[in-house]
Amino acid sequence: MNTFFSDWYYLSIRNIKQIWRPVLALVPSIFMPIFFFAVNAASLSAFSKVPGFPNVSYKDFIAPTAIFTAIFFSAGNAGIELVQDIANGYFKKLTIMPINRLAIILSKLTEVAVQSVMQGLIVLVLLFAVGVRIHTGFLGTLAIFAMLIIFAMAWSCIGLIAALRTQNARLVQSMFILAFPFLYLTTSQTPKSLLPHTFATIATYNPVTYIIEGVRSLVLFGWGNPAIWQGFVVASVLFVVLVALTLGSFKKTLR
Amino acid sequence: MSDNIIEVKNLYKEYDGGVKAVNGVTFHVKRGEFFGFLGPNGAGKSTTMNMLVNLVRKTKGSIVIDGIDIDKSPAEIYKRVGFAMQEVGLDETASAREMLQLHGRLYHMDPKEIDEQIARLLKLVELEKVADRYTSTYSGGMRRRFDLALALIHKPTVLFLDEPTTGLDPHARQLIWAHLRELNKQGMTIFLTTHFMEEAEELCERLAIMDGGKIVTEGSVSELLSKHKTKNLEEVFLKTTGSNLANEEVNLKASDPYARSRG
Repeated sequence: MNTFFSDWYYLSIRNIKQIWRPVLALVPSIFMPIFFFAVNAASLSAFSKVPGFPNVSYKDFIAPTAIFTAIFFSAGNAGIELVQDIANGYFKKLTIMPINRLAIILSKLTEVAVQSVMQGLIVLVLLFAVGVRIHTGFLGTLAIFAMLIIFAMAWSCIGLIAALRTQNARLVQSMFILAFPFLYLTTSQTPKSLLPHTFATIATYNPVTYIIEGVRSLVLFGWGNPAIWQGFVVASVLFVVLVALTLGSFKKTLR
Repeated sequence: MSDNIIEVKNLYKEYDGGVKAVNGVTFHVKRGEFFGFLGPNGAGKSTTMNMLVNLVRKTKGSIVIDGIDIDKSPAEIYKRVGFAMQEVGLDETASAREMLQLHGRLYHMDPKEIDEQIARLLKLVELEKVADRYTSTYSGGMRRRFDLALALIHKPTVLFLDEPTTGLDPHARQLIWAHLRELNKQGMTIFLTTHFMEEAEELCERLAIMDGGKIVTEGSVSELLSKHKTKNLEEVFLKTTGSNLANEEVNLKASDPYARSRG
C-alpha cells in the first residue's frame, strides 16, 4: 500500500476508535437533534396550516433539519480531539514522524464522516419510526448522506483551524456555539417565504440554508429540484476552501 | 561513514518579536556516544533539541544527522531519530499496545517486526502486564517509561531525550537510567538534556553547558572539572552559567502571578 494511503488508513482507525471512547460522549450529539425535533414537531405542528406553508406536515418539514443537526453536532468533535492532542503533546509526536501531513488532516475528516453516518443513521431510523418517509427512496438517502458528510467534513475544518491556530481547548470547545446561529438563521424551521425580510436575506447568504434545502428536496419533493445540486455545490466549495485553510494552518504550527 | 552522527554548525533561532533562543551554536556528537546538554531554564537546550528533530524551524545554520542534511530530507531524519519529549504526549484513549502498533505502522514497519519489537520494548520498560490498559490509567513513572518505548519502536539510530526523569521518584529514575545505559551499550547514540547534575555525571560521556543561547563549555566530566578547576559538575555549572537552580526558582516565582498569590 502506498505510504500516503497507509498513513491515512491507520490514523483514521485510531481516530474512529476515539468516537466511542468513552461511549457516553456520543449521547448528547444523538439526543439533542431528537430532542429539538420532538419539541418542535409537537409544539409547532399547527404552523403547517399557515397560508404559504408547503403542502406537508410540520414534522416532515423539519425532519431534514433533524438529520442535518445530528451530523452538524458530530462535526465539532474533530477540533476538540485535535486540541487535546496538541495540549498533551501527542500532536508533536505525529509531526516528527515520516507521515504525510495531509494524511493527518484527512484521517480527522474520515472520523467525522464515520461519526456522521453513525449518528445520521440512528436519527433516520427514529424518523422512520415516527412515519417520516424519504420521497427519493434509497438513492435519495445515499445522496442525503453524501451531501451531509461533505458538509460535516468542511464544517469540522473550522474546529481544526481554531485548534491549530490557537491551541486553546476552551476556545475550540466554545466554537460549538457557532452551530446555533448558522442553524437557526436558515430555513430550518420555516420556509423562506414566511421569514421576515431581514431573516430571509441572512438565510440567503447562509451556506447552511442550501444544505438544508438540498436535503429537504430529497426528503419531501424529488430529484428535479435545483436545491439538490445547489446543496452539493455549496458543500463541495466549502470543503475545498476549508481543507485548504486547514492545511495552511497546519504548516504554520511548525515555528 | 562519518564518526560524528550529529553535526551542528552556527545554529540560530530567533522567534517572532526578536527573542533569540539559540545564538550561534556549533557542536558534534560521536556515533554511539551518550551526550548531555545542561543549562539553566531558558538557556536554549530544548529549542536546540527541537530544531535537531525539525519540530522547530531553525533561523539559520546547518544540521546534519547520520549524514543527512535536515533541510534536504527531513523525512529521512524522522526515520532515524526517536524523541521522548519533556511533555509525555500520549493518546489517553488508547492502550500502550495499540499506540506501539500504530506507531510501528506509521513508521512503515513490517507487521511481524512490529510485534517482535513491541514484545521486546514492553519487556525493556517493564510494562508487559499493563500493556492492554488505557495509558490514562498509568502513573507518572509508567508514562515516562512507555514514552521511552514509543520513541524506540522504529529502532532509531539516535535517541533524543528532553529531561526524561523530571518529576520521577528515585526508584523510577534509576529504572530509566538502567534502560538508557543498556540502550547505549547496544550502540545507540543518546542525546539528553537534563537539569540534574547527578544524571549528567552518571550517564553522559560528554557534556555541553548552554547559557543565553550559547554553548559556554563542553567536554567529558573529567575534562570539565580540570578545565574549570572545580570538584564537581555543579560547580562547573555555577561557574559557567552564573546561575543556580534556587535562583531560577526565585525568578520563576517572581514572574508567575499565581506563585505570588500562593506565597
